[in-house]
Amino acid sequence: MATTTSSPPSDTSAPARPAGRSARRRGDGRFVLACLLPALVLFVLFMVVPTVNVFRMSFYTWSGFSPDMRFVGFDNFTQLFEDAQFVRAFQNTVALLVVVTVVTMGMGLFLAAIMTRQRLRGRNFYRFVLYVPNVLSVVVIAAIFSAIYDQQNGLLNGTLRLLSLDGLQQVWLGDQDIVLWSVAIAMVWQSLGYYMVLYMSSMASIPEELYEASGLDGASPTRQFFSITLPLIWQNLRTTLTFFVMSAVNLSFVLVRAMTGGGPDGSSEVLLSYMYKQAYTNSSYGYGMAIGVVIFAFSFLVSLLVSRATRREPLQF
Amino acid sequence: MKESTRGALVVTARTLVAALCVVVVVAVRTTVGWGSLAIMLCALLVLLGVLASYNRRFH
Repeated sequence: MATTTSSPPSDTSAPARPAGRSARRRGDGRFVLACLLPALVLFVLFMVVPTVNVFRMSFYTWSGFSPDMRFVGFDNFTQLFEDAQFVRAFQNTVALLVVVTVVTMGMGLFLAAIMTRQRLRGRNFYRFVLYVPNVLSVVVIAAIFSAIYDQQNGLLNGTLRLLSLDGLQQVWLGDQDIVLWSVAIAMVWQSLGYYMVLYMSSMASIPEELYEASGLDGASPTRQFFSITLPLIWQNLRTTLTFFVMSAVNLSFVLVRAMTGGGPDGSSEVLLSYMYKQAYTNSSYGYGMAIGVVIFAFSFLVSLLVSRATRREPLQF
Repeated sequence: MKESTRGALVVTARTLVAALCVVVVVAVRTTVGWGSLAIMLCALLVLLGVLASYNRRFH
């Protein structure tokens, strides 16, 4: 009885409900689209269009100012093969990428582990001191290091003179063999604190019981670091490593530009500074964009490889 | 060979290879040319390979 009386209303309402639901879903879709649209337009305008333009302009010869633009196909790219200065800039970029990444990540992890696991006196002060360079503008850091490296009145040569180590004095920003490493030290100093604080926050979230249990089993601090700390902060490490590869390329440009201008004799030139020089100083905009395409491909490839090499299942704790 | 000895040897080998790659990058940079650049890129690839081999057992 109950079924016969209740079935007609459900029959009449059954077709109305899906229609209402689909209308609501459509409305939701429109709302989501309306919310996404401003960001999407900005992304296309300021990311997609300029990137496509870089690729397009690399096939042209253009001074950057005149209305004459000539299509030259792959000529700009073939020119790169004969350009020794481009090769040198590429080598410098790879060298900085490898050395600065290894040193920064290694020291960042080491210092973060010490600050988190060892009960150091005044560790907040050390953390503050190491983090300060990240707050400073890169140009200010370049100015500080230019003062430190100054040949006559610099802190470095002055200290060496004070310690009667005159033989170790160098022209830190004027010697072709060491200028790049002088820039590398500034790069490490600038980024070390930031990555150390990032790793410290990850390490602080690891439960203390894991260390206590492993300590009872006789694990040394080194073993604890490699078997507990490193696996549990791996996702963070992976992300920072991928980001660092890209940011190292950008950071090297600003520091080289502000500290050495690519000199002496182009020995500290990196890819981005060489691209900038060609595009805006040498009025070879198309050639500069061809270098830009190489930088894009290189950064993309290295980031992809780093991401693939470090991929693993996230651990839950 | 004991498992712990083998593990220690693998870790030592990986560390040595990684250090060697960094040294190669630093040393080869002084010579400008496509050959040197290729060697540096190879060293970078080997470094990534070492990282991948360390990471493989956690997949």
